[in-house]
Amino acid sequence: MVEQVNSFAIKTKNVSVHYGNKMAIDDVTINFTKNDVTSLIGPSGCGKSTFLRCLNRMNDVIDSCKVQGEFLLNGVTDIYGDSIQVETLREKIGMVFQKPNPFPKSIFENVAYGPKIHGLASTQSELNDIVMESLNRAGLYDEVKDRMDDIATGLSGGQQQRLCIARAIAIRPEIILMDEPCSALDPIATARIEELINELRENYTIIIVTHSMSQASRISQRTAFFHLGKLIEHGDTSKIFTKPDKEQTNDYITGRFG
Amino acid sequence: MNSLNKRLSAEKRFQAYGLFAVALSMFFVLILMWKIFSTGSGAFVRTTIEANVFFNPDFIQVNQNSLEKELYRASYVALADEVVRQNHPKLNEEQFIKVREMYTRKFDYQLRDYLLDNPDKIGQSIIMKITASSDLDQIVKGNYPRDVPEAQRKINDYQLSVLDKLTSEGKVSSVFNFWFFTKGDSRDPETAGIWGAVMGSLYALIICFSFAFPIGLLASVYLEEFVKPGKVTDIIEVNINNLAAVPSIVFGLLGLGMLIGVIGLPYQVPLVGGLVLGFMTLPTIIIASRASLRSVPPSIREGALAVGATKMQTVFHHVIPLSLPGTLTGTIIGMAQALGETAPLLMIGMVAFVMEIPGGPLDPATGLPSQIYLWSESAERGFLEKTSAGIMLLLLFLIIMNTAAVLIRRRLEVKW
Ligand SMILES: Nc1ncnc2c1ncn2[C@@H]1O[C@H](COP(=O)(O)OP(=O)(O)O)[C@@H](O)[C@H]1O
Ligand SMILES: [Mg+2]
Repeated sequence: MVEQVNSFAIKTKNVSVHYGNKMAIDDVTINFTKNDVTSLIGPSGCGKSTFLRCLNRMNDVIDSCKVQGEFLLNGVTDIYGDSIQVETLREKIGMVFQKPNPFPKSIFENVAYGPKIHGLASTQSELNDIVMESLNRAGLYDEVKDRMDDIATGLSGGQQQRLCIARAIAIRPEIILMDEPCSALDPIATARIEELINELRENYTIIIVTHSMSQASRISQRTAFFHLGKLIEHGDTSKIFTKPDKEQTNDYITGRFG
Repeated sequence: MNSLNKRLSAEKRFQAYGLFAVALSMFFVLILMWKIFSTGSGAFVRTTIEANVFFNPDFIQVNQNSLEKELYRASYVALADEVVRQNHPKLNEEQFIKVREMYTRKFDYQLRDYLLDNPDKIGQSIIMKITASSDLDQIVKGNYPRDVPEAQRKINDYQLSVLDKLTSEGKVSSVFNFWFFTKGDSRDPETAGIWGAVMGSLYALIICFSFAFPIGLLASVYLEEFVKPGKVTDIIEVNINNLAAVPSIVFGLLGLGMLIGVIGLPYQVPLVGGLVLGFMTLPTIIIASRASLRSVPPSIREGALAVGATKMQTVFHHVIPLSLPGTLTGTIIGMAQALGETAPLLMIGMVAFVMEIPGGPLDPATGLPSQIYLWSESAERGFLEKTSAGIMLLLLFLIIMNTAAVLIRRRLEVKW
């Protein structure tokens, strides 16, 4: 597979992350192709979340966390450089968390918040359109259209997570990071989110952490296997799950450890 | 099995101890309440004596055409004496003095106030319920014994006989004592009211809130959200906790030394009282506010940051609104505490005799607790019931504030 520079949404090189003296990520180099879903898999505690949070600098708020290495957005913009503000970066790289975390405000307010603070809508009707469109894309609009003013924390877990996805896409990011978005959901809600991820792939680059190998094989085109802070193997999902290069990968996907 | 029985009976015993402790504390509360209510309820009624009042223009030297200002300035003292003479004819001078003492000294004000409201009554006669003096009031209420030697009584035999005659004529009656809720302090218990002290406390609390709430909120938000935890914050934390435990009289001294001594703010005023109470409440507010900021889940902050909100936006749009119920609850509880504080008010002079109802935070005033303290110092029985009634009012305000705190917490608290 020949990859051009501009076909990468994010390129990283020699990434190491420490929490205090403890190393969490050890010299990882990985590039994420545009408009693909990339799964990060690996045993618990191997650093998947840590790595994911480096990509939109969510680790900045953790004082003990030190990030080293090179991160390039669209092959040019240094994610940790001075040329980009962290708020602008997060406008481009959205995030969905493991536990649904809607604001305890109305459904409308949840989605409208991002566009409002970034000034994406100049009129109320523009804002309404953005909210509607985002909810639509997140597959939630039909379920909530009659109760936009209800408090978001009253929704079911699956609906809350889709609302968080709507909130993330409302600011029109290029990339969406997801950290085990289905781990707190039941199978039906999970299936719904997986379907959604498949649809979103057309417009967004998605990097998703998952602990479910079957989920990774269902939804992702690319898969990266982490172990003890190291990137063991990275490639097309079909290849990783059928004939991985590394024995460790094979052991993990066949359930021999992890 | 045996050991299970043992454990069960241990539990029974423990429950019995608990019940006993609760019952004992309830018993003391009830005793306290009963004592206050039985003493204080008298303050809500006052004894009056019905009298025929002829607004004789010659005595007050006004006429139908007099302006309100003239009516206000006119002298009613002579009229008051004349009313007594007319209703008790054929008194010698000694008897007159005794009978006059049965009516409140402030009876002339009562006449004036009536005439100001009804200027058309000049030159006419009306029947009026004149407030009795406090000593007579106490006799009628049964708080002073009648069956003791005359020398031990505030009301002498002659006055008692006049009272009995008035009573048999049906002229002695009790009315609801509005004055207690509308008037300021007075030398005479029958005309002393709590309103001046209520307003004094109200102004002080408004100042206290406007000073302590914003500062407390900003300090806690800064400490909790912006500053990196370390040695400095530890030292600040310890100091705030210490400050919360400092006796209130120390804050009073601070107010006296700094606000009055150095800055030169006036003595006796609610502005200074409120600031001192504010110093006192500040640590409570900071502690409550920090606790409630800490209880906002980090996931909310992450959610806001992840859509590109700045730290400021995250804190002001999400964290503070979510922590506000807790902060407000802490603030109200702190202010309820401040409302009951006497020592700081004593230190900054809010214990003086003030008749006027304060019109603002810069007018001399007392506060509720210091008014209660003032009255409790007074020997007269009439002030004893005012003391208890003042305590009842203070307790009522405390109950209202604490209930408000609970309601705010219930209403605004977010369910996760
Ligand atoms: N805030 C933190 N402070 C200190 N250590 C952390 C923190 N977050 C994660 N770690 C450590 O970093 C390592 C990687 O954690 P994480 O990225 O959460 O793994 P994963 O998501 O793959 O389960 C773990 O050993 C974890 O204990
Ligand atoms: Mg994780």
